[in-house]
Amino acid sequence: MHAANVPVEADFDEIRAGLYALIARLLSGPLDAQFVDHMCQLEGDTSALGLALNKLAALAKSPPPDNFADEYAPLFYGQGQGGEILPFASYYLTGQLYDAPLAAIRDDMLKLGIQPTGSVKEPEDHIAFLLDMMHGLITGRFAAGAVGVPDQQGFYARHIEPWASEVFSDLKKADSADFYVAVADLGLAFMEIESEAFKLAA
Amino acid sequence: MEQKQKSETPVKRGRREFLTMAGVAAAGTGVLAGAGSAQAAEELSKDKGQGYQETAHVRTYYELAKF
Repeated sequence: MHAANVPVEADFDEIRAGLYALIARLLSGPLDAQFVDHMCQLEGDTSALGLALNKLAALAKSPPPDNFADEYAPLFYGQGQGGEILPFASYYLTGQLYDAPLAAIRDDMLKLGIQPTGSVKEPEDHIAFLLDMMHGLITGRFAAGAVGVPDQQGFYARHIEPWASEVFSDLKKADSADFYVAVADLGLAFMEIESEAFKLAA
Repeated sequence: MEQKQKSETPVKRGRREFLTMAGVAAAGTGVLAGAGSAQAAEELSKDKGQGYQETAHVRTYYELAKF
């Protein structure tokens, strides 16, 4: 299938939401066989985003028996101190976990009617949580319903843009194997796209 | 007086063109190609008129994220 036509706005929102959900899932925990199977369908063009998707699909087609869990754990769980990467807004912005950026996020969540399900222990300023919230804002999964591009931009600019690319850069620099390097490339490409696209919408 | 329609259209087109060029359009097929029935599920939820536009595939990602 070729993207011969420029899709309409609603289609882009759906794809953007899907990309947020995808990256959120990739960062939220070790993968499982079902998810890795989904990933085999990913495809893209020759853009940075597309190449990262193609790379992930290629890796997913011949996954290790543990579905890359061996790569996730040392990066995000680590030995005692919480891994090489601490993907929390507070940590990246102030150097302390559970700091002001988390309070700001909780503030916005209240306004938007977003409640954590309580199924994870991580605070809500975890990168995967925030990317997942973008998915919900675009699709209208939360009480406030779908929000328009300006409100998406506001949330993104306040809570994600100031630090997300840094996390992906760190993930790329970390002692990652191929899989999470490709995840980092996907994240970097998509954050760059979103930042630029929001500017065009302003 | 209000030129809203006129001023919105080029902006939206510019954004769409950028997103296309950046590879987002091409990513759509793979990102949204659900486990078979994503499109059907989407049509179904649109019919219900709830504005609830998640596709089955996207929801699968979400549910697996467990947040």
